[in-house]
Amino acid sequence: MFWHLFAYRLKCLLRNRGLIFWTLLFPLFMATLFHFAFGNLMTTGTFQPIKVAVVDNVAYRRDIGLQQMLSAISEPGDGQLLDLTITDPEQAAELLEERTVAGTILVSEQGVALEVKRSGLNQSVLKAVLDDYVQTASTVSQILQQNPNAAPELMAALQQRIHYTVEKNLSDAEPNIMLIMFYALIANTCLFGSSWGLKNSTDTQANLSDQGLRRSAAPTHKLRIILSDTLAALVITYSEVLILLGYLGLVLGVQLGNELGYILMIALLGSLTGVAWGTMFGTLFRQSEAVKGGIITVVNLTFSFFSGMMFADIKYIVDQAAPWFSYINPTALISDAFYSLYIFDSHERFFLNAGLLGVTAVVLSVVSYLGLRSERYASL
Amino acid sequence: MLIRVQNLVKRYKEVLALDHLNLEVHEGEILGLLGPNGSGKTTAINCILSLLKYDKGSIEVFGSPMDPDSYESKRQIGIVSQNIALFDELKVEENVDYFCGLYVHDVATRLKLVNEAIEFVGLKEFRKFYPKKLSGGLKRRLNIACGIAHKPKLLILDEPTVAVDPQSRNSILEGLRTLNQQGTTIVYTSHYMEEVEQLCTRIIIMDRGKVLATGTKDELKAMINTGESVSVELFALPAEALAGVRQLPNVSAADYSQNRLTVRHVGGSHNLITLLDYLKSQGLSYGRVYSQQPTLNDVFLEITGRHLRDAEGM
Repeated sequence: MFWHLFAYRLKCLLRNRGLIFWTLLFPLFMATLFHFAFGNLMTTGTFQPIKVAVVDNVAYRRDIGLQQMLSAISEPGDGQLLDLTITDPEQAAELLEERTVAGTILVSEQGVALEVKRSGLNQSVLKAVLDDYVQTASTVSQILQQNPNAAPELMAALQQRIHYTVEKNLSDAEPNIMLIMFYALIANTCLFGSSWGLKNSTDTQANLSDQGLRRSAAPTHKLRIILSDTLAALVITYSEVLILLGYLGLVLGVQLGNELGYILMIALLGSLTGVAWGTMFGTLFRQSEAVKGGIITVVNLTFSFFSGMMFADIKYIVDQAAPWFSYINPTALISDAFYSLYIFDSHERFFLNAGLLGVTAVVLSVVSYLGLRSERYASL
Repeated sequence: MLIRVQNLVKRYKEVLALDHLNLEVHEGEILGLLGPNGSGKTTAINCILSLLKYDKGSIEVFGSPMDPDSYESKRQIGIVSQNIALFDELKVEENVDYFCGLYVHDVATRLKLVNEAIEFVGLKEFRKFYPKKLSGGLKRRLNIACGIAHKPKLLILDEPTVAVDPQSRNSILEGLRTLNQQGTTIVYTSHYMEEVEQLCTRIIIMDRGKVLATGTKDELKAMINTGESVSVELFALPAEALAGVRQLPNVSAADYSQNRLTVRHVGGSHNLITLLDYLKSQGLSYGRVYSQQPTLNDVFLEITGRHLRDAEGM
């Protein structure tokens, strides 16, 4: 009986060409569009060496330690932090004025000074480097005054500290702003399951459709109909999300991380949330299916916008201004789960997202069932 | 007794849709619920099927109170709703199989029943068609097939012939008569009095949520004063002769206009012969003669003061 209901529901939904277009082909089209329109954004995460001018004077030439340190962190290669220009005071001032360099380093009798024209990430890095040097030089001087025999061990320790840029191995991939958009698109596709859920709720209720009336009059328990319909919708939505994931990963080369099990898990939870969300929405309101479909599309797109599908930075803005919204926005939970899976070695954040998503799916499903099981209707 | 409804009251806010409705359906009959749109026929059906909440009263089906989880009773009921309740995405045979599967779980039995239902409604050559490829009449037949495939003991049809061409309508009515002969009890709601007269063995006339009259068509017609109406084509009718016609037995009214004499009777028998004998005795030659028995519309008219069709707009 259950499989009879499930098989026919699957057929019914799969033959709905309009919904198949919007829930499967449209996301594939959007993914392709994102790839070709914004593909160059992929490189924006690469670190560029900071340009800095050093005033060449007597004090600088005398400070061998500073010269060695600056030389070490300016060597071309993966670890290059600074791009040095050693020049006279006038040209250094000119470069700073033109903002060709982020700052100028001036060594004098009073010590090492950094001059900048504005504050920013590069200027903060320069300041941190010089502060560290000054503090270390002072410490070394004190140690050598008190214990001149410690010089060899001290030099060995300093050699290790010369690397200011250390690659923290979060995962095998690099952070990428573009991924936020792709992950939001995956999340949006999960929520497209709401269209199937909405159709299910319409076809189940006697006060919303003639098919619902006929099914309600039959000697079949409502729960059996609801479960078979939901399973059919879930199978379709999950398959669509997997097709999208395959297309993104295998055809467009989008980094999805290496943990396939977790990827499949979050896609399944997202699909279930999407279907349950549409079912609940369809159950609670009595407008026509077309009106409800329009409203749910707008709501889904709003969720997607705030999770960064159209404008990646909005995700950070929401996280800072209204972090609670990201916890109730299913699209944000799904996309953040994908992102955390990709970017962090730890699964703490992934499981937080997955847990919240699971709770959301359960709440939506329970509310849907309570609405759909309605035994007698007030009007038909 | 298959259905017993007692003192059923249903309100939609301020509107009283069913006003202490009482009705019974006996095994083997074709019961017609006749009334204009809005008279409460569909509301009564939906209450009987336990789809609709009601304010007061009781409903028993197959001797047991009818509830949403009365699955044993529901298993023996077939419904054909006013609107076509099919899945456009499923083919003809798939639709019938799907809905039959809600009642019959055994696959082999179901396959047999589905084939019989498709054949019964004459859709054998359309079984692979999607509903949107069918004409309105064929869709109606499919709608019926979905309601009868599981061979219900009680079949409830709510205006099944709305917007159906005469040929399909006759085919549907003929099929229902056959089902009844095979043992299916039928409840048939309609606002087409001709259909109800033609098909039903017992008729309930409803208006504004109430039962106005119950009986066979002859019993209903016998309840009213209106009897046979006779029209005779005459080239001329002197005033004295018209007055003479009005004096004939059982004549309630007689008018002559546009070369046509129309005479209404109140019951009685041999009214036509009596009238024609009188005209001959007056030396009047006449042309074509028409005789019309009272209709259910006359019954409705006499009880409510309105025609069935007029009442639909109210």
